[in-house]
Amino acid sequence: MREPLIRSGGLLASLIYAAFIGWLYVHQPQTFAQVTGGIASTVGAYHIDQPSFADGLQFFRRDQFVESRAAFARADPAEHDAKTQFYIAYSYYRQGWGRLYNSDALFTSGLAAVNKAIAVAPSGRLVVDDPDLQMHTADELKAELERGLQRDISDFNPLRVFRKRK
Amino acid sequence: MSPLREAFVLPLLFMTVALLAGLQIGSPIFFSPPSPFALVLACLLVGVLVRSGTLAPERLLHGRRTVLANSNGAIVLATLFAASAQVLTMLTPSSGLPLLLFDAFLLVLLINTAVTGPDRGPALRSLLVILGSAFLLKFVVLAALSNPEGGGRLRRVLLALFDAATLGTISQDQIPPASAYLAFATIALYIIAVAALPAGASWHAERSTRALAEREMTKIAE
Repeated sequence: MREPLIRSGGLLASLIYAAFIGWLYVHQPQTFAQVTGGIASTVGAYHIDQPSFADGLQFFRRDQFVESRAAFARADPAEHDAKTQFYIAYSYYRQGWGRLYNSDALFTSGLAAVNKAIAVAPSGRLVVDDPDLQMHTADELKAELERGLQRDISDFNPLRVFRKRK
Repeated sequence: MSPLREAFVLPLLFMTVALLAGLQIGSPIFFSPPSPFALVLACLLVGVLVRSGTLAPERLLHGRRTVLANSNGAIVLATLFAASAQVLTMLTPSSGLPLLLFDAFLLVLLINTAVTGPDRGPALRSLLVILGSAFLLKFVVLAALSNPEGGGRLRRVLLALFDAATLGTISQDQIPPASAYLAFATIALYIIAVAALPAGASWHAERSTRALAEREMTKIAE
């Protein structure tokens, strides 16, 4: 009776451990918070820190983008909440946007954040109903960031100075 | 072998080895899968373990065992293979001429061990020497050569000349100090796990026993 129990327990433990190692190899987490957050989100138990998210949103609306990203990072340490990652990407977009030229470094970081948001969103679809924003989907934001990183003849159009930040 | 060792200890040890050997400390941290050549070397290594009697596969997978016991045995074999491939990947430099030389070095050593057909004890000692020497070469010798801060001006000039002569194929990415400690612990864990595998008679010993029995039979017949 005892031997089958040990063998079954061992089999189960081995399969769980193997699944965990497989998850690590697929997701490549960078911090311990990402490991715990990733596992929690796999079982549907991951929640962001709402007060920090609210702080981040306030900073974001006051155009304090560096502060907003610090608060958003505190709210979502595992980088597993699509909405928070969307706001982080949006903050990079707004900070990096320029009337004459965009900051490639900030746009690249924004693209990485929006890709993270798309990756963790259910079915990759993310819609944020915020009247303060002019782009409400991750797809729009991603396309805008990619357009900002492209080099083409339209970059030399003097009418570009009249375009508006979204 | 006790069911506890077969079901819990060995799979968990080998999976921990696979996890730690794949962990690349640095900025950023990442987990690297085994290289295709390491898979080939791992096949050879498992072959050496079987031939030497360090691993008796019939004690893990057999028609007389229950399905549950065979499942445990299959997991031990699969994790042994994964851990072997990851350890060999960990001990191989990432690029350039050292990668080629290390792969050739490990291949020759493993083939040599397989051909000599050692028993369990010598095979384990040989494995210890192979892994230990690869560890020394990568984490001590190559790490010292690739460290841009260590040594004096003459050493740097000599290294630069050597690097130029070999078309820049010698220098490697700098290895973080923690990697060497982690690699050492991983190798130690791997050797412990391999020594705890269910052992059997080596092929060499089995052949000798069979030959002796045949001679005895011939004598009786005469």
